Amino acid sequence: MLSVIDLQKSFDQFKAVTKANLEVGQGEIVAVIGPNGAGKSTLFKLIGGHLKPDKGRIVFKGKDIAGLAPHQICRLGVSLSFQIVNVFHRLTVFENVQVAVLSRLRLALDLITPARGLAIEETQEILNSVGLTNVGNRVSGSLSHGEQKVLEIAIALGTNPELLILDEPTAGMSPEETFATIKLLEHLNADMGLTILFCEHDIELVFSFANKIMVMRQGISIVQGPPDEVRDNQQVREAYLGGAN
Amino acid sequence: MVERQNLVASGYSRLTWLAIGLGFLIILAVSPLFLPRFFTYLLALILITGLVTTSLNIALGFGGMYQFHHAVFYGVGAYTVALMLTKTSLPPALGFILGPIVSGILALVMGMICVRLSKLYFGMLQLSLGSLVWVLVFRWYSFTGGDDGLHGVPVPKLISSVSGSYYFTLIVTVICLILMYVILNAPFGRILQAIRDNPERSESVGVQVRLHQLVTQVIAGFFAGVAGVLFVTVEGSTFPDMMSWTLSLEFLIMCLLGGWFTFLGPMLGATIIVSLRTLLGGYTEYWTMVLAIILMLLIFFLPEGVLGYFEGLYRRRSASLAEDR
Amino acid sequence: MDFSTTITLNGLIQQFLVGLSRTTILFIVSSGLSLVLGVLRIPNVAHGSLYMIGAFLCYSISTLFGAGSTGFWLAVILAPLGVALISLAAERGLFCHLYDREHLMLLLFTFALMLLCRDAVKIIWGSNYRSLSPPEILQGSLSILGMPFPKYNLFLLGAGPVVALGLWFLIHRTKIGKISRAAAVDRDMVGAVGINVSWVFASVFVIGCFLAGLGGALVAPTQNITQGMDHTIIMEAFLIVIIGGLGNVWGALLGALIFGLTDSIGILVWPQFSIVFPYAVVVIVLIFRPKGLLKATW
Repeated sequence: MLSVIDLQKSFDQFKAVTKANLEVGQGEIVAVIGPNGAGKSTLFKLIGGHLKPDKGRIVFKGKDIAGLAPHQICRLGVSLSFQIVNVFHRLTVFENVQVAVLSRLRLALDLITPARGLAIEETQEILNSVGLTNVGNRVSGSLSHGEQKVLEIAIALGTNPELLILDEPTAGMSPEETFATIKLLEHLNADMGLTILFCEHDIELVFSFANKIMVMRQGISIVQGPPDEVRDNQQVREAYLGGAN
Repeated sequence: MVERQNLVASGYSRLTWLAIGLGFLIILAVSPLFLPRFFTYLLALILITGLVTTSLNIALGFGGMYQFHHAVFYGVGAYTVALMLTKTSLPPALGFILGPIVSGILALVMGMICVRLSKLYFGMLQLSLGSLVWVLVFRWYSFTGGDDGLHGVPVPKLISSVSGSYYFTLIVTVICLILMYVILNAPFGRILQAIRDNPERSESVGVQVRLHQLVTQVIAGFFAGVAGVLFVTVEGSTFPDMMSWTLSLEFLIMCLLGGWFTFLGPMLGATIIVSLRTLLGGYTEYWTMVLAIILMLLIFFLPEGVLGYFEGLYRRRSASLAEDR
Repeated sequence: MDFSTTITLNGLIQQFLVGLSRTTILFIVSSGLSLVLGVLRIPNVAHGSLYMIGAFLCYSISTLFGAGSTGFWLAVILAPLGVALISLAAERGLFCHLYDREHLMLLLFTFALMLLCRDAVKIIWGSNYRSLSPPEILQGSLSILGMPFPKYNLFLLGAGPVVALGLWFLIHRTKIGKISRAAAVDRDMVGAVGINVSWVFASVFVIGCFLAGLGGALVAPTQNITQGMDHTIIMEAFLIVIIGGLGNVWGALLGALIFGLTDSIGILVWPQFSIVFPYAVVVIVLIFRPKGLLKATW
C-alpha cells in the first residue's frame, strides 16, 4: 500500500533522515521504532507532506506522493496525527471531528449552510467508535491529556483514511488509557480495515501489538520484518534493544 | 436522552437570544424619534465602527490572522464611494456597490501576497502594503485630496439627513452582521476556527489553509468596505486618517476589549470606546491616556475581553452544573 | 515634469549625502527596535515615542544649560540616558510580566504605552513645536563639489559608523551581547544554563530604547521637534526592520540605507511623491523576500 524508497531529508547541515525504506501492506499494523533522534517523526512528516524530501520516493497505492501538499495527501486517504497534542483547542470535541468530516465532504468553502446540521450522524458515529460521545459538547482544550490523544485519532478518522499514521499515540497516557487506546486501534484495524502505521517508545507494547516492525537509527532504516525476526536480529540487538533492556 | 435535553436547551436559549436581539433592534429603530440629533449621529458612528471591528474580527478572532492593518479596507471603501460620487456622474448606487467590491479586491491582492506567511510576518507584511496604500492616498492631492481628504460628498438625498443616514446605516449593518454570522456558522467559519487553533493539523485533515485564509481576507475586506461606505453616507467626507495605522490599532483594541473570540464582542468594544471618546473628549483633551490605561488594565487582567470573560464564566458554571448532575 | 534639468551629478551626490545623513538617524532608531524585537520578541510600537521624548529632552536639557555648545553636548548624552531610565522603569514595572504573552498582546500593550507617552509629552511640553540649533562648531555649511552641505549633517554621517561599531562591539564582544544572541535563538536554553534571563532582557530593552533616545537627540537640531514625530519614525523604523530581517541589526543598517536613499532619490525624481518611493521599494523587496533581506533571528 505504502512504499518509502531511499528517502532523505536534511535541515541545514543536519541529516535527519539519511536513507529510509519502509513497506506497509494493506491491513497491516506497522510500527517504527528507534532511539530518540532516529528520524521517526521526520519520516512521518515527510509521508504526510508537512516536509518535502530531498531525495527518494514515497509511493501510496501506486502514486508517487513525495512533495505533495498535506491536504492533497490527505485526500488520497492518508491521515497523519502528530506527536504533540494537536487538537483544535477552542472548538468542542464534536466540532473537532466535524471539521475533518466537513473538509472531506469538500464543504470547506460553503458560506451559507449552517454547520449545525451538517455531517451530524457521521461525526456522532466516530465519537461513538472512540468512546468520546459523553464529552462531545466539552471544549477540547479542557479535556485530559489522554482524552485529547484519543480525540486526535477521532479527528484522523473524520477524514475517512485508508492509512492512519500516528506519531506516538499513547505518549503520556496512563497504563489504563494506553490499554484502551491499543484496544481501539486493534478494533479499527480488525473491524474497519484500517492500515495503521505508528511509532512508539514502549517496546513491549510495540512487540505485542504490531504485525511488522521497522527499526530506525540515525536516519537509516536498519531492518524491517515481523516482530520475532526483528527481535532476533543481531544488528537491532546491538543498536537498540541491547541498550534498552 | 442527553442529546435530546441539549437540543431543547439550546433551542430555548436561541429563542431567548432572538427575542433579545429583536427587542434591541426595535429600540435602535425607534431611538431617533426620541434622541437628540447628535446621539442619533453617535449611534450611527457606533454601528459603523462596530461593523468594521466585527469584520476585522473574522480574520483576527475567528481566523487567528494578525490583521494589523484593517483600516486600509475601511478607508478604500470610503474613498471609492466618495470619488465615484464627486468625480463621476455615474448612478450613486453604483458607487455604493463598488466601494465594498474595490475593498474586497484590494484584500484579495494584498492577501495573495500576505497569506504565504503566518502570524507576526503576516501582520508586518500587511502593515507595509497598507502603508503604501495610505501614503499614496495621502500624497495624491489631485485625485484623493491628499491630507485634506474629500469633503461635501454629494450623498443621495434620501439617505443624507441625520435620521436618513442613520436608518440606512442600521439596516445595512444589521444585514451585514447577519451575513457574517451565517458565514461564521457555516462550514467555512467552523473550519476557519480550526485553522486558527491549529493550521498544521487543519492541513492534514485536508483543508487548503492558504486558500481559506485568502477567502477570509476578501470577506473581511469586503465588509470593512461596506463600513467605509456607510461612513461616507453619515459624514459626507473621507480623509486619509481613515486608513492610518493607528486607527487599525484602535480597531484591534476594540476587538480585544469586547472579546475577540466572541461574535458580538467587537461590537461591544466599539460601543464602549466610541462612547467613551465622545463623552470624555468633551471633558479632557487627554482622552487617549484614558484609552491607554484601559488597554493596559485589559491586557493584564482581562485578556479575553468583556464578553469573553462572561462567556467563560457561563461555560464554567454550566460545566460544573453538568458534573453535579 | 522635466527630469533632465533637475538631476545633475552634483545634485545627485548632494542628495545622496543628505540621504545618508538621514539614514544614520533611521539606522540608530531601527537598530534599537530590531534589537528589542530580536531578543525580547516585543514589537515595540512605543519606540517612536521614546525617540520623540529623546528629542524633547534634548531640547529641554540644552536650554537648561544655556542653549550653548556645552548644553547641546550634555543634552546629547543625558537625553538618551533619561530615555533609558524611563524604559528601565517600564520594563521592570510592566513588560517583565508579559513576556509569555502573544505578539498581538505585546503589540497592543506597547501601543497603549505609545498613547500614554503622547499625552505625557503633551502635558509636559505643551502642543507647540520646539526647535534647537546645532552647536556653534557644527553650524553653517561646508562646500562639497561646489555644493553647500550642512556641517551638522556631516557630523551625523560620522556618528552613524560610530554607533554601528559600538553595536558590533556590544553584540560580538561583550557577555550581554553573547547571551542575548543565544537568547534570541533559544530562550529556554539560556534560562536552563542558569543565566538570569530576566536581567539580560532588561538590559537589552534598555539599550534598544537608549538608541531610540539617541536618535531623537541627534535629530533634534535638524528638524522641528513636534508632537507627531513619533508617528512617522515608528512606521519607517518598522518597515526598515522588516525588510532588513526581524531582529537582525545589520539588516536594520541595510534597510535604513535602502529607505533613506530611495527617499532622497525620490525627492530628485518626483518631489510630490518622494515619500512613496521608499514604501514602494519596501513592498517590492517583501514581495520577493517576504522574510527580509538578511537572515532574521527567528
